[in-house]
Amino acid sequence: MLTADEAGVVLFTLEVAALTTLLLLPPGLASAFALARYRGPGKSALETLLSLPLILPPTAVGLALLEAFSRGSALGGWLAGRGIEVVFTWKAVVLATAVMSFPLLVRSARTAFEEIDPRLVGLARTLGCSPAATFFRVTLPLAWRGVLAGTVLAFARALGEFGATVMVAGNIPGRTRTLALAIFHDSQVGRDDRAAVLAGVTAVLAFAALWTTEWLSRRLERRAEE
Amino acid sequence: MAGVLRALLWAALALLSAPVSARADELTVFAAASLAEALQELARGYEQQATGHRVVLNVGASSDLARQILAGAAADLFFSADRAQMDALERAGLVRGPDRVEVLSNLLVVVVPASSGAALTSAAGLARLHRIAIADPEAVPAGVYARAWLESLGLWSALEERLVPTLNVRAALAAVESGNAEAGIVYRTDAALSRRVRIALTVPAGQGRQIVYVLAPLAASKSAAARELAGRLAGPEARPVYEKYGFLFIAPR
Amino acid sequence: MIELSFELPLATAELRVEAELPVAVTAVMGPSGAGKTSLLEAIAGLRRKARGRIACHDVVFLDSARHLRLAPERRRVGYVPQDAGLFPHLTALGNVRFGARAGTRQAETAIETLEIGPLLARYPASLSGGEKQRVALARALATAPRMLLLDEPLAALDVELKERVLPYLMRIRDEWKVPILYVTHNVGEALALAGHVLFLRAGRVEAQGAPLDLLSSPGLSAEAEAGIENLLRGRVAAHDPAGGITRIELDGKLALSVPLAESRPAGSAVTVAIRAEDVLVSTAPVKGLSARNVYEARVEGLERTGVDVTLRCAITGSGRPWLVRVTPAAVEALGLAVGTTVWLAVKSHSVRIV
Repeated sequence: MLTADEAGVVLFTLEVAALTTLLLLPPGLASAFALARYRGPGKSALETLLSLPLILPPTAVGLALLEAFSRGSALGGWLAGRGIEVVFTWKAVVLATAVMSFPLLVRSARTAFEEIDPRLVGLARTLGCSPAATFFRVTLPLAWRGVLAGTVLAFARALGEFGATVMVAGNIPGRTRTLALAIFHDSQVGRDDRAAVLAGVTAVLAFAALWTTEWLSRRLERRAEE
Repeated sequence: MAGVLRALLWAALALLSAPVSARADELTVFAAASLAEALQELARGYEQQATGHRVVLNVGASSDLARQILAGAAADLFFSADRAQMDALERAGLVRGPDRVEVLSNLLVVVVPASSGAALTSAAGLARLHRIAIADPEAVPAGVYARAWLESLGLWSALEERLVPTLNVRAALAAVESGNAEAGIVYRTDAALSRRVRIALTVPAGQGRQIVYVLAPLAASKSAAARELAGRLAGPEARPVYEKYGFLFIAPR
Repeated sequence: MIELSFELPLATAELRVEAELPVAVTAVMGPSGAGKTSLLEAIAGLRRKARGRIACHDVVFLDSARHLRLAPERRRVGYVPQDAGLFPHLTALGNVRFGARAGTRQAETAIETLEIGPLLARYPASLSGGEKQRVALARALATAPRMLLLDEPLAALDVELKERVLPYLMRIRDEWKVPILYVTHNVGEALALAGHVLFLRAGRVEAQGAPLDLLSSPGLSAEAEAGIENLLRGRVAAHDPAGGITRIELDGKLALSVPLAESRPAGSAVTVAIRAEDVLVSTAPVKGLSARNVYEARVEGLERTGVDVTLRCAITGSGRPWLVRVTPAAVEALGLAVGTTVWLAVKSHSVRIV
């Protein structure tokens, strides 16, 4: 059904999506939490800024990343000096998918954090919890639905990311070719039949990811009701 | 409000009912990316001479363009960077054999960023480099030629994993210009256009496969002017323009 | 001793409290919006804008002059809000154990005191109002707090539940020996539980002192409009099924008869409530009256509370004074004054076992 190369592409895509999602959790949840609590000036501007990758064309985001990390740029040059190459490597794939998925996680988690009764947070403090302990023992457990939804969305987005990825990571077989890029490449070289097979695989993966969330969600709900 | 809507409706109708002949005077040329500058100049010249005609250029990887035409894209002329893509169209009955003209040839070069101090005395030196950009070797003519060249030297398998395949030959050039690739294999004509790269190595004409650009009007083209334009693009008047950019003119007199 | 000398901007006014609370239980009273909840929150450390000085025994919670502010988690203050505030994602046990230190029996002791053993495996959503309050109280106690801040713990409960939780509060007061700040609108609760009252109005301390002394103050008397209950403690002495009564011995060796209550075993501790308006006053010894409970007493105090008069009567040989409510007309007709000897009569049906 799948050639060895294609299986490799599937595995690579899953690894990258999983890694991206994991890497996104600390900064994503921190941003969501900060946004939920911050009520000062410039809050909407900040929210809009963080949501940009959602509305901009992925290629525009990819271009921006390419300019920022290219060897000729300040950042890219600095990294290259330390032996770290980003453009045209798997790191660029993670970078591109992370940037595109970040707003999805933040938006979901922020809504969930905002819905928590702030008095419960205060109560936890009086019961002896430091702010950090309160976050992990009260805020996060109470916001789990939104956080889970955001995480799955981020993962699913990472599975299918194309525009930004192709700009900054290229479509290098065995190195940066994800499922979405492989589908594109197959259609470019006239292998529409293989492209269709890979498209089918992507659909199955997305379905599996969403279905697992539903199942997990229901199980956790049932436990809470007992 | 109703007045504005009505005005818009009339404008839409007017546009849609424009005489067919006006659109037939707009010629669409699908051409290999490396021909962009030369064809732009030639197209402008044609437009100035042939009143009422407009030329729309769609440049890209010849393989990509051929695929689009096969899928139904409306082109009047196809100017491919290799025979294989034109063959595909001929097999599909979209181009008639006698209409094909082999117009140009080109040379491959290895370019490096202008600021790079890398010195390549031979192709084997490529093995020392980290990332080499080429057009997708699976289908894009520039990439196919590059692969054929490397294979002819027995260097392909050693270099394969260092290659960064790009969408078309200009993307490969851009990768070298930005420094993200240490070297790239492009046409000599591409290298000549860019000040941010320098030629480290020129591939002799005998090595690898002969580069041939093929031009043909599409059989389904609705414009009579298509053949005329094809004649111009393959004719002696066009030669100086091509040669200015570094192409080799091989069309028969 | 709890020192309070601070100010805190509120939504419409400013809370400014200057008080030294000397005793175990202080009732905090006052009309809505007076700042009672804000006072508690400031002491708990949940109001960052509080400025001034707050100290509990020798521990300084806040001292703006010295730039000292103790974080809420370090103050060890047990705060129980009006609606219990249980964490919905934890069971009752999880809630109680939340702040308890591992390796100690703090949680277990609290569970015993509040008798919530059977509730432990349940989630807050399935608990009744009274059960939630008890779990919340246990949760606060399990942290071995320096003091307790209770915000109207009985307000959200109906009468029956109130009566079930009140004894637990008395138990906490007597057994746990921590200072308690207790916000309430109910004068009876204040009288039963507190030794000191802080009366707030519009962000200021309008009055403070012993509850009985404040009865006549305008604030308290307005609250008292709703009715004052005498809450008394005692022990079941014996049941008399044939006579239809249960005999109770109140603290101070006072005998009280109530309608038969066999569900309370002999010897068990009880708390009874007698409404101030249900007590009859006579200036002569009572004979031939159906009321079973008659006591000789002396009028110690006489205060106008709203349209009525509330008498403070010390029953001969007993401890706490009883509060009796009569009309001004009755006072005049009987010639009641401080020092008058009276006889108080209460029907056994007017006594409620809490």
